[in-house]
Amino acid sequence: MSLRQKLLLLFSLTVAAAVAAVAWTVLIRVRHVFELRDQEETALFVSQFQREFQQQSTQVSGALSRLAETEHTRAMAFEIVQSGDAAPYLTEAQTMAQEAHLDFLEIIGPEAKVVSSAQWPARFGYAEPAVALPTPDAFLKYEDLPDGSRALGLFSVHAIPGAEPAVKLVGGRRLDQGFLADLPIAPGMAVGLYSDGGQANPSGAPAFDVRRLIGATGEFAAASHFQSLIDSSRTSGKQASQVLYLSDQREDSVNATAIPLKSDAGQVLAVLVVSFSRSSMVEAQQHIRNIAYGVAAAGILLAVVFSLWIAARVSRPIEQLALAAESVAGGDWDVRVPVNGSDEVSVLASSFNHMTEQLASQRNQLVQTERVAAWRELARRLAHELKNPLFPLQLTVENLIRARDLSPSDFDEVFRESTTALSMEIANLKTIIGRFSDFSKKPKPELEKIDAKSVIDRVRTLYESTAKQGNAGILFETDVAGDPMPLLADPELLHRALSNLVLNAMDAMPEGGKLTMSAHPSGDKIEFRVSDTGEGLTPEECQRLFTPYYTTKQHGTGLGLAIVQSVVADHAGTITVESSEGGGATFIITLPRADT
Amino acid sequence: MRWTVLRHFAISCLLVATTLQVAARTRPHYGGTLRVETAGDPWQKPDGVARRFVFDGLTTFDARGAVRPALATDWASDDADHRWQFRLRPGVHFHDGTLLTSVNVVASLNIACPQNCPWTAIHAVGPYVVFTADSPMPNLPALLATDEFLVALTISSDGKTPPATIGTGPFQFMGAKGGVLSFTAYESCWQGRPFVDVIEVRVNRSVRDQWLDLGVTKADVVDVPVESLHMAQQQRLDVTVSAPVQLLVLQVSDAAPLANPLLRSAISSAVDRIALANVVFQKQAQVSASLLPQMLTGYGFLFPTERDLNKARSLRGGLPSPQLTLRAEGDGAMQLAAQRIALDLHEAGFNVQVVRPDAARANLTLRLLPLEGSSPEAVLDVLLRRAGISIPTIGDDSAALYKAERAILDQHTLIPLLDLPAGSASSSRVRDLHLRADGAPDLAGVSLGDAP
Repeated sequence: MSLRQKLLLLFSLTVAAAVAAVAWTVLIRVRHVFELRDQEETALFVSQFQREFQQQSTQVSGALSRLAETEHTRAMAFEIVQSGDAAPYLTEAQTMAQEAHLDFLEIIGPEAKVVSSAQWPARFGYAEPAVALPTPDAFLKYEDLPDGSRALGLFSVHAIPGAEPAVKLVGGRRLDQGFLADLPIAPGMAVGLYSDGGQANPSGAPAFDVRRLIGATGEFAAASHFQSLIDSSRTSGKQASQVLYLSDQREDSVNATAIPLKSDAGQVLAVLVVSFSRSSMVEAQQHIRNIAYGVAAAGILLAVVFSLWIAARVSRPIEQLALAAESVAGGDWDVRVPVNGSDEVSVLASSFNHMTEQLASQRNQLVQTERVAAWRELARRLAHELKNPLFPLQLTVENLIRARDLSPSDFDEVFRESTTALSMEIANLKTIIGRFSDFSKKPKPELEKIDAKSVIDRVRTLYESTAKQGNAGILFETDVAGDPMPLLADPELLHRALSNLVLNAMDAMPEGGKLTMSAHPSGDKIEFRVSDTGEGLTPEECQRLFTPYYTTKQHGTGLGLAIVQSVVADHAGTITVESSEGGGATFIITLPRADT
Repeated sequence: MRWTVLRHFAISCLLVATTLQVAARTRPHYGGTLRVETAGDPWQKPDGVARRFVFDGLTTFDARGAVRPALATDWASDDADHRWQFRLRPGVHFHDGTLLTSVNVVASLNIACPQNCPWTAIHAVGPYVVFTADSPMPNLPALLATDEFLVALTISSDGKTPPATIGTGPFQFMGAKGGVLSFTAYESCWQGRPFVDVIEVRVNRSVRDQWLDLGVTKADVVDVPVESLHMAQQQRLDVTVSAPVQLLVLQVSDAAPLANPLLRSAISSAVDRIALANVVFQKQAQVSASLLPQMLTGYGFLFPTERDLNKARSLRGGLPSPQLTLRAEGDGAMQLAAQRIALDLHEAGFNVQVVRPDAARANLTLRLLPLEGSSPEAVLDVLLRRAGISIPTIGDDSAALYKAERAILDQHTLIPLLDLPAGSASSSRVRDLHLRADGAPDLAGVSLGDAP
């Protein structure tokens, strides 16, 4: 990843993280505000419900009081007490309940038995335990109905004045759908009433029945989702609140509160459920989130633009420096980078330019120095090589001068020997000069497609017999792969290089041994190996072996392996040596395989 | 002296005038419109109020329950009551002028009784209608006097199907408008023209509204349900109450889950008849545990009427109580009685649910059966036939009747509860209002006086 990309990523992440942090903070704050609002509305509703409940209690109590005070009711109570016959009033409660707009009304005779029941007329003669309750206030209780069901109602008990023993009225209103519909309900709010009819399963744990949760308009939407909340309130007897998700959609969720409705004995008879839709809050959150996403996207876009600008300011000089460094590494020491401004990057660029100038200067000096050293070395070698034949030449000439004093026959003898020696030494000088000439020529390779096997075969043909005819005899072996090994090479130069290696190997085994030539494919290259079983080379020798004029032979010029290395380099190949002292040496030439 | 003579003369004239005026007021006179209100359907079987003054039967009951000739002038049986023949009254015409023939009667009776009839076959033989059966029909004249076998015109003289409202009774149906059915006097009625010109029947009127209309002289004859008789009397309505004419029974299915007779017996013991009689029916009913009233048989007291809750629980024992359904035929007091019986049975350990009157099936049915006629055997015959229970062969003496009734009651499929009267109230301008044997007012004999 480039510096520019890194900068881009860094700036983008930084801006996005900053925007996300701000959006998250705002969202949390919004949620907190909405939850506070919900809590306040719930508290307000609970307060309103309690007032409504109290009002209903007052209404029930007032209705009963007014009923009991009427002349007709008092006359009825008097007649019941006096005659002991309550049968004529069997349907009286129904009429009275209709007049007083009560859902439940029972006339209880002196023996605390039902005289007339509006809700269950057939219950006459049965005891009504509610009349024994000491409380003058309204209370909640379940009322049995003829169809076997039980209805939750808000009841009150009132004695009819003037009758002794007392004749009482027990009346109330049903806590049902109508009751819920009368409650003040804010937009987004839903109110439900869960009443289990006072039933509990045999294990004692309350069994939730979704059908028992009703709303102001009948069914309570998604009632099953309220089970845990209602059960919690029923079992604990305390108000409970919870966020309920009614579907997979977040906006389809509510803040729900369960308010237990208890009897005088503290038993939970029903649970009032108040829920506020969270859709507005979720929509607001979604809106804020969308804004945050928009701001984040704009921020990231700005970060991209900003990072591009920063790159122009920061990364471009660095990139120029990197390119210049690559050029220097590639050998172009004349490259320079522009210096703009006075910041750290400009100082770096200036230093780089100074460095390349110094390097170029030092390189020129080094070239000059090496050139002088090379001439000196060449002169030394040439002097050394020429000095050896010159000394015998000088002796022969001096011997000829002295031989003028000898007899003619002896002179002839000496003259013949001396001229022979002179001819030999002159030939020797020619050879030396020819080698130096060859090294200096360095012919240009003429590449053609050849097979490595043919190169090996040609060298073997040339030197196999010579090797066998030596003093100790050398076993010459070749190992060539069967598959074609095409090369793009100059066959003559390659032959000369391998021949040089073979001759070196034969020289390394004066006592005889085994010479092995091999050629094998190695990936996309062809590998030649020339191995001997001679005394081997020291590590130092291996390191210096390809240096021109370095030789381990007594009469070597030190140019053979330098020429081999030059030929291999001209073929885009490499040459290495593997050797251990006393374990022979192996020269490895690797050349690129030609495409078939 | 002269003053004394004059005074005597004046007093004599005054007495004569008063006597003449009283005689004029007591003598029924023709004309006027009788306004009848009812809570039910006047055409409904049985006992719809219009059926009795539009249609006649071959026989009829008189006020004391004795069988009297109607469309048939006489009848005779042979072959040990396996065959009966009724001779038709000659010269009787339907309201549309069609002559009453034995063919008309046979066609009408075949429609009235498509199945489970008292007879096996019915034939028209000249002026005779002949009934034959595989088993004896000793009470056929009484059966034919009931509402079930009234004769209506089913084949007109032109071969078309006439309306089902044409009979031979004293009033003929003229039409309905605004919930009021109009009937006019049938001038050619075989019984003679009724006194009243028109009867207007306002239907589906609540009892409370009927009483209000009666109070403001907008109605002449209104219903008074049994449970309201006491209240009507307290409100000083002119109430006419019959003898017990209906038996309130709890009919118990003998199929599962009440196939066990012990369970049915427990139900019989669990019902509190006295509470029903005293409270639901406001002491206007007579507690009864027998099918036939005490006044008819004299042995009704032998059947215990008291509730025995311990016995009921004991009989039920540990048997599981399935969910039972109880249906009451009728509304008002019948529904209340059903609710009370459900409570009674609940105390005995039964789980009973009262269902709607139109429910198709129920394990228990609270219903009213007729107690028409003066012959115990005939009454029992009619009652059991209405209940759908097979009629045993009953001997002539009271002991045999008792044994037959005991055998029926021991099955506990029919649990008698109360004997109920019938009642109606009339305005002061209605004269000579009598009740028929079934407790319904006999409107054909009514005449109207001047309004007060």
